[in-house]
Amino acid sequence: MTLNTTLNIYGQQVDSRLLIGSALYPSPEIMKQAVLASGSKIITLSLKRQNPAEQAGAKIWQYIQELVKETNGFLLPNTAGCKTAKEAVTLAKMSREIFQTDWIKLEVIGDDYNLQPDPIELLQATETLLADGFKVLPYCTDDLVICQRLYDLGCQVIMPWASPIGTGKGLMNPYNLETIRLRLPEATLILDAGIGKPSDACLAMEMGFDGVLLNSAIALADNPVMMAKAFAQAIIAGEQGFVAGMMQQRQTAHPSTPTLDTPFWHQQG
Amino acid sequence: MGQQSMNANEDDNTKMKLFMNGQGIEVSVEAENLNMLIALQHYLTPEQRQQSFAVALNGDFVGKADYQQTLVNQGDSIDVLFPIQGG
Repeated sequence: MTLNTTLNIYGQQVDSRLLIGSALYPSPEIMKQAVLASGSKIITLSLKRQNPAEQAGAKIWQYIQELVKETNGFLLPNTAGCKTAKEAVTLAKMSREIFQTDWIKLEVIGDDYNLQPDPIELLQATETLLADGFKVLPYCTDDLVICQRLYDLGCQVIMPWASPIGTGKGLMNPYNLETIRLRLPEATLILDAGIGKPSDACLAMEMGFDGVLLNSAIALADNPVMMAKAFAQAIIAGEQGFVAGMMQQRQTAHPSTPTLDTPFWHQQG
Repeated sequence: MGQQSMNANEDDNTKMKLFMNGQGIEVSVEAENLNMLIALQHYLTPEQRQQSFAVALNGDFVGKADYQQTLVNQGDSIDVLFPIQGG
């Protein structure tokens, strides 16, 4: 087996399996340094209303544009804040015009408490956007049937959550995620949301996920730049572990060191 | 408020009430002449007009190429969105 270091996004090969968010950093400069340290080539961003008095967004956008240019990377706009398929479709179209990309991280939130995706609205929006030429990267729960339906609609990339956005709780239900990987072997699977620490990302990659998308775990670290490096290394370690093929677990102990001729060996008989 | 917003006057049909990013404003333009381009000129600063933004009218996307020909009517809601950081 060989290590395939590129992530496949609708046929576009991307040479990092870490997708990184651009929000919540202590400053735009730290955001920039963290993204560079992560090695990520895909940066998520969003759209919001901006009243005439506000100018802060323009600077952030400038930073992100510089980052994309410097990393030879890609923008991944999201539809954060949308609660219906119609809202998400409109926001996706607005994003496509501004960012000049047909990639869209499709978020349709169904519950304000845990920001859980609404599967019904998500499927409707996905169908509409795919028909309109978008390359949809849907953010969904770790429900196998929802993932299967998204794949059947034509999503080549599917992004189930690890746990609710911003919680840092890690992989709530590894069984579900392993099952999705097993049942959708051809899909590009990206674990999105809820990642808290590098070992969470490593675990996802050990399961055979194709990539990890995160924001808070890096941006809210005491040292975001160092944490970005840690995640980059964890993802590579997890991927290598998966590709290398892990040993089977065994119920009983087996000595690692050969027992024959070890000191003080008590030969029977 | 918009740069050229005026006092409310229900009987003056040369003024139109619009909701720009959820905020009610009035613009002093003949209703039949008001298109998206003019509405945006009322609302956005000259600096913002040079920035990247996208527009929706009553929840539907309006492309830049269509601003001129998209008529805006009394009570319409216009969203003007700009890039920001996101996860």
